[in-house]
Amino acid sequence: MKQIIKYSLLILGAVIFAYPFLWMFAASLKPEIEIGGFSLWSSNFSFKNYEQVFARIPIARAFFNSVLVSSITTLSVVVFGSMIGYALARLNFRGRNALYYLILFTMMIPFQITLIPQYVLMVKLGITDSYLALIAPTMISTLGIVMFRQFFMSIPQALIDAARIDGCSDFKIIFAVIWPLSRPVVITVAILSFMASWNEVLWPIIVVRERTLMTLPQIVTLFTIGGQAEALLGLQLAAATLLALPIIIAYSFFQRYFIDSMVSSGVKG
Amino acid sequence: MKKYKVKYDRSAYLLVLPYIIFFLMFVAYPLVFSLVLVFHRWDIVTPMQWVGLKNFERLINDPLFFKSIINTLTFLLIHIPLQITVALGFALLLNSKIKFRPVFRTIYFLPVVVSGVVVTILWQQLYSFDSGLLNKLLMVFGIPRIPWIVSPEMAMPSVAIMATWKNVGIYIIMFLVGLQNISAELYESSNMDGASRVQQFFSITLPLLNPTIVVVLVLSTIGGFSLFIEPYVLTGGGPMQSTLSAVLYIYNQAFYFNHMGYAATLGFIFAIVIFAVIMIQKKAVEMDPTV
Amino acid sequence: MVKYLLSLCVSIIVIGCSEKNANDTTTTNDVVTLTYWPAPNPQEVQLANVIVKDWNRLHPTIQVKMQPIPVSQSTEEVLLAAIAGRTTPDVCSNIWPGALAEFTRLGGLVDVDRFSDFDSAITSRTPNDLVESLRDPNGHFYQMPWKTNPVMMFYNKRLFEVSGVPNVPRTYSEFFASAKKITRDIDGDGQTDVWMGERDIRPIWWQRWFDYYCFYIAASNGKTFFVNGEPNLDQAASSKVLEFFRTCYSENFFPHTFFQGGDLFLLERKATNFAGPWQIATLQTMAPNLRYGVAPIPVPDNHQGPVYTYGDYKNIAIFSTTKHPKEAWEFVKFLVQAKYDLMLLEIANQIPIRSDLLSNPLFADYFKKNPMMIEFAQQAVYTRSVDAAPDLKEIFDAISQEYEASAVYGRKSPIEATQSAQKRIKVIVDWNK
Repeated sequence: MKQIIKYSLLILGAVIFAYPFLWMFAASLKPEIEIGGFSLWSSNFSFKNYEQVFARIPIARAFFNSVLVSSITTLSVVVFGSMIGYALARLNFRGRNALYYLILFTMMIPFQITLIPQYVLMVKLGITDSYLALIAPTMISTLGIVMFRQFFMSIPQALIDAARIDGCSDFKIIFAVIWPLSRPVVITVAILSFMASWNEVLWPIIVVRERTLMTLPQIVTLFTIGGQAEALLGLQLAAATLLALPIIIAYSFFQRYFIDSMVSSGVKG
Repeated sequence: MKKYKVKYDRSAYLLVLPYIIFFLMFVAYPLVFSLVLVFHRWDIVTPMQWVGLKNFERLINDPLFFKSIINTLTFLLIHIPLQITVALGFALLLNSKIKFRPVFRTIYFLPVVVSGVVVTILWQQLYSFDSGLLNKLLMVFGIPRIPWIVSPEMAMPSVAIMATWKNVGIYIIMFLVGLQNISAELYESSNMDGASRVQQFFSITLPLLNPTIVVVLVLSTIGGFSLFIEPYVLTGGGPMQSTLSAVLYIYNQAFYFNHMGYAATLGFIFAIVIFAVIMIQKKAVEMDPTV
Repeated sequence: MVKYLLSLCVSIIVIGCSEKNANDTTTTNDVVTLTYWPAPNPQEVQLANVIVKDWNRLHPTIQVKMQPIPVSQSTEEVLLAAIAGRTTPDVCSNIWPGALAEFTRLGGLVDVDRFSDFDSAITSRTPNDLVESLRDPNGHFYQMPWKTNPVMMFYNKRLFEVSGVPNVPRTYSEFFASAKKITRDIDGDGQTDVWMGERDIRPIWWQRWFDYYCFYIAASNGKTFFVNGEPNLDQAASSKVLEFFRTCYSENFFPHTFFQGGDLFLLERKATNFAGPWQIATLQTMAPNLRYGVAPIPVPDNHQGPVYTYGDYKNIAIFSTTKHPKEAWEFVKFLVQAKYDLMLLEIANQIPIRSDLLSNPLFADYFKKNPMMIEFAQQAVYTRSVDAAPDLKEIFDAISQEYEASAVYGRKSPIEATQSAQKRIKVIVDWNK
């Protein structure tokens, strides 16, 4: 009996968390008048809503922009993060501790205070409406640095010394010696920064007004609240599905990594 | 014995240089500049105008500023207890002897990875008064419909419920990890002392999950003050400014009305409020003997 | 070290190169390129395509690139950010006069009266009494008047007939009387299916043009918010309008929700709609079988004189980021030719600002075929625009909040809300002085 209650609660939870997505996917294929129902099936399924979305907004271009911006951001966060993390963890230099405290302090600054000045900086540099504006402020993640530093501290000094004797530069040590041993942390930081970049809306809305440079979540947001969807729910849900699908597919392949990264970021951050 | 001499790795400066540049551009400059901005009136194009403390004067006379703080606190008061209860409940279920645990875990975590925009578009339909699935469900059970996002009283709670649905997956897993770290011996020894399940929950489980609860508190507070896309898409801050969040208000002042100085002042004060709220929470959790 | 810095530079350059600035005005091989932003609705984009194609054929050395204004919650927000970021186009034809004062204060626009043929260009087209009202307080002109859209009441003839309402309501009481009959639950499930009207209740400032503001202009016999540059809200008119909408909401003639699933007027679920003539274009394509008419905005019961309304003016301006003001000015004059004004009527159902609109034989055929547009053309004489105040958006936002509190949610009396609005307008104006 107890087991039955347990499982019904668990299944109820699964329905609460998963059904809305299934419904959204089904509804995006239905004609507008059928959308109000609970059913996940309709005999009138078609891709008409999607055709409309593609006709009304450059969503393919936005997808490309998002992939580009998120990839460059992720690459940059991982590369710079491990360089700085390595220096903090394994090298001895004047001001090391001060720098580490500075990084910890930076993590505590709420973005509300820097949002407007950062936008002003973009304006002053004359780079609003550019990929650079989308990427630059997130090229380095302090959380990433801290996670790399933590992990690199656990790597045996002997390995690094051996590489040094072989004449390896610091760069070679980081990327050829340490990286292969640090897969978990590299993957964690990469997933976190990719997701953060992929799902970011506020910053793109502020610095990009040019349609061809908009990111996927940005264009879907503006499509929904601006007049272009004409309050047609089918179109909005189709656009939302297009935005959700890539990340859901990635999640279904790498769910373990996703869950571990998100949870560890919360615990450490 | 030779005097120990510290060997410095000079290449380290090269490695940390990118951070220094980044820090100067995106942390130091904005911080300094925000301190400049709060004393100015500025439309970003024409020269800045020194106004002294006028921005602060305006702020304390601005009902919408206080409204946005009250809105955020309302959000937190509903969101945090709901989040902790739901997360803990599911974590306890998942921690018991069950099959398919990874499957359930994967499903519960799904909303976490999906963009807030998707979640908001989806919930806009669910919350719709006339055609929303939630109200249709209520009517099946003969319950009167709820004006989820069109009533000034219900709108913020509705946003909080939606945010809980989106984020609770993380906390389920965190609590699950916390529960799995509690050693079984603790329960066994208290079993021998004749403690009941409920007593065990309050005397062992909850205190040992305290770190996770602190994380939930802090992250939810930061999340509450960062709330933007949900009200921006769902309600535009209405009805009657009941979902006007701190960031949405900054956004409006800066990008609708072009008051960069005042928007920076709002950001400055909000940052202080966030710090204060988090400090109070930490103190409260540390002092509370029940947690 | 050098290698490292180089690679850093290269990566920045690579990123830098991939950025594309579509608003750049570049001169290559002596061909001047101008960027032109029309409004993003399908009709105006279609019109812009035709005009730009003609222009580019006739002017091989001055090529115009058309790009609809980027979507956002409002055009004004986009243009403001573009002025700040200096990414404005050369020409834009969707300038709301209410935002003009702000744009000129920021130095974002070119004074078009610097061109020697400005006077003849403007007077040959624009009614004389309107010309002066377009002058900036600093004495210059920054806009070429283009089109106006008088806001009127569209009504669904079928819904009026089946409810047994013979006449279109002219006054508030008549409106309520009709509303009582029309607002109904048709399928008997306990929920209203057809409403007298419906408005977007979200607190979006420009939505007030289509409820509070057009009703305010009508009720006050053509007043705006300012008199001689000083805020001066007509308290009686404002209170009456708020009272009117308050009744519409409290009696459930208007729903308290916002709808998904499309425009309720197109779906025949609301009997009236306050909109400009562009609505006709939408109706023709989306609901060709819907029978409808237009009437002036309802007025208070004791109203005397003609019924004024809000004229949603959209004008053309040249931005100061342009490197080719002369060429841009030529394009602006090209845009407002009579033949394109006819297309503006035909394609977009919008009213060009012309003194000879109803007398020029060029347009006669169009009005004969589209008698409903005559009503808009006639109403266009009795329209008011908005005040030339730099803070108008903020003022509309404050009004929007008072409207919401008083009319939609009934939490403030109309008089209280009006007084509070007047006070807030003063605060906004004083702050921004």
